[in-house]
Amino acid sequence: MKFALKILKDFPAYLWSGWGAIASILLFVAFWDVGNQVYGDLVLPSPLETFQTLALMLQDEEIIAEINTTLYRASVGFGISLLIGSILGLIAGFFATASMMSRPIVTILVGMPPIAWIVLAMIWFGMGDETVIFTVIVASFPIIFVGALQGTRTLDGDLKEMADSFNLPWHMKFFDVYFPHIFSYVFPAWVSGLGMAWKIVVMAELLATSDGIGATLAVARSQLDTPTALALVVIMIGSLMFVEYIILEPIKREVELWRS
Amino acid sequence: MSELEQEQKLHATNHYLYYPDEKDIPPYLAYGFRPVFLLLAPYMIITMLLWGLVWSGILNIPFMNNIVIWHVYEMLFGILTAGAMAFLTTGIPELFPGMVPFVGKRLKYIMILWVAGRVSFWFMDILGVYIVAFLNLAMLGWLIWFAKDAVLDKLQRHASLGYTLLALFIIEAWFFASQAGLASTDSMSILKVALGAIVILILLALRRANMESINELMEDKGIDDIYISRPPKTNLAIFAVIVFTIVEFLYPQNSALGWLGLAVGASILGITADYALKDEFILNQPFVIYLSSIFVMLSLGYALMGWDLLNPNIDAINHFRHFITSGGIGLSYMVVMIIIGTIHTGRHLTSNIYTHLMVGLIIVATLMRSLIPFFEEYMSELYLFSSIIWTIPFMIYIKVFYSFLMNPRADGIKG
Repeated sequence: MKFALKILKDFPAYLWSGWGAIASILLFVAFWDVGNQVYGDLVLPSPLETFQTLALMLQDEEIIAEINTTLYRASVGFGISLLIGSILGLIAGFFATASMMSRPIVTILVGMPPIAWIVLAMIWFGMGDETVIFTVIVASFPIIFVGALQGTRTLDGDLKEMADSFNLPWHMKFFDVYFPHIFSYVFPAWVSGLGMAWKIVVMAELLATSDGIGATLAVARSQLDTPTALALVVIMIGSLMFVEYIILEPIKREVELWRS
Repeated sequence: MSELEQEQKLHATNHYLYYPDEKDIPPYLAYGFRPVFLLLAPYMIITMLLWGLVWSGILNIPFMNNIVIWHVYEMLFGILTAGAMAFLTTGIPELFPGMVPFVGKRLKYIMILWVAGRVSFWFMDILGVYIVAFLNLAMLGWLIWFAKDAVLDKLQRHASLGYTLLALFIIEAWFFASQAGLASTDSMSILKVALGAIVILILLALRRANMESINELMEDKGIDDIYISRPPKTNLAIFAVIVFTIVEFLYPQNSALGWLGLAVGASILGITADYALKDEFILNQPFVIYLSSIFVMLSLGYALMGWDLLNPNIDAINHFRHFITSGGIGLSYMVVMIIIGTIHTGRHLTSNIYTHLMVGLIIVATLMRSLIPFFEEYMSELYLFSSIIWTIPFMIYIKVFYSFLMNPRADGIKG
């Protein structure tokens, strides 16, 4: 509770410190505008046109439905890998053998290109939700798994001994000794896992489904509708940035504060 | 010195190691900022009222060929040279304690040079460009010569100020070349470049003024924290201003310039994030509000100019530019005049109804002047009253601060 209050208290200052980031994004947008002037509207629509298209799209119920579909797939996929990845990772971290054994497997999972997973998933599950969700799970699972594994793997033995010798009750041991440490590893892994999930869901949709943002992007491509395509990209980047920097980053900062 | 006295000691008491032994220095020439502020306050009033009367057609001055150029030049370079002089002659001996303060007769001669520069510019059509150019460039040239130690300093801590002044000298020479017909560039475009350089100079100077005054203020009030104005934030803003200024000079109507304007606005606003300290809350301190409103004004100006360029339905960029000039630049002179006029005359920085009014009225006048495009039916009233209201703070300054400036330091120290 105190933790949540501290995040809320620091939130306005955190938000206000974002002006520098907004400035560099706007400088980038100016650069994009120059690109538009050099290459023309067909190749690279102007930022203004893109944002106007975006505003129109957000009033369109069909587009909102597509966004919801994508959101559903991404959150189910990410939710499953978050749950399984965290649990398995935490357990694996407790046993040296398990962590040793799981490392090469994780390397294989990370090393396998997501596009190959999509092809396999299309053969296994056909064209639909399952393919997309499966791909999201395989892509974000290893990241979360490794984070959780590191969390328990690096627990400080001395601190544990100290907690034992002071006869701390189990809840204090958990919340004050283990949890902050583990969470400071697991949480950043969740954040990068989410980023991965959000990118993969669109790619999988583009190749394997007929609805969702990815599929809309495919339609825009076939119609050479660059403003719509860019507007969709802006939706994806915008929503990811919102979740990452407005919701998760403030929590992450507080979580990592104790680590000097 | 007893412990109590030690505690009450002001930062500004250790600003120089040696004070020149010139005899009979009158108080108004005892330190660089004194004569500048004594002249600048009435000059602001005169020049702004003259402008208001000329622009609204009440007064006709035949020898001024292009009155808009006159207005812009005087509000930029005329005031800048005085402001920079006060800042440098007061600040440099403090930043480099080995330096001897610039006071007495020599100070008087330089002030006369400044006044000559102002009066000559008014009569440029009679005197000819070359004499006026010589007087004006000599003033800025002297400032650069004076600041050379800062530029040549081995650690290069404050070199950026010197380089910006040098850039302004080149821009001013370019302006006069254009006036004399030696350069084909339009004088107004050159003045817009000068505005960019002046904003950069102000951002650089403010970073230093901010650190000194806010930390001194906190020490005074027993607020246990430290304020650091972080260079990367200022540098990002300066970079954005440079890009905006160059692009505006080359492609004044380009849509990319619109985004750049928004970027400059965001980056300047970003500097205010430093006021959120780690432990203590200082955003309710009047001087923090005064100083941060300078950034807000500058930022609003650039952002609205950017918005204007992106929006085909509005064409009011030069109105919005007044957020930068009347607002940001005007406020920074006002606030610096208040802060230096208080601290360096040996007083503790305090806010009162006068300081609130001085800052508040400049903001009110700026809003009236800059938002004219939204209230076009009151255009002529807004032009006139905004210029009158803008001068009131300087009248208050004369009333409150003249006795400080005309008398020796309150704490008995020389300077």
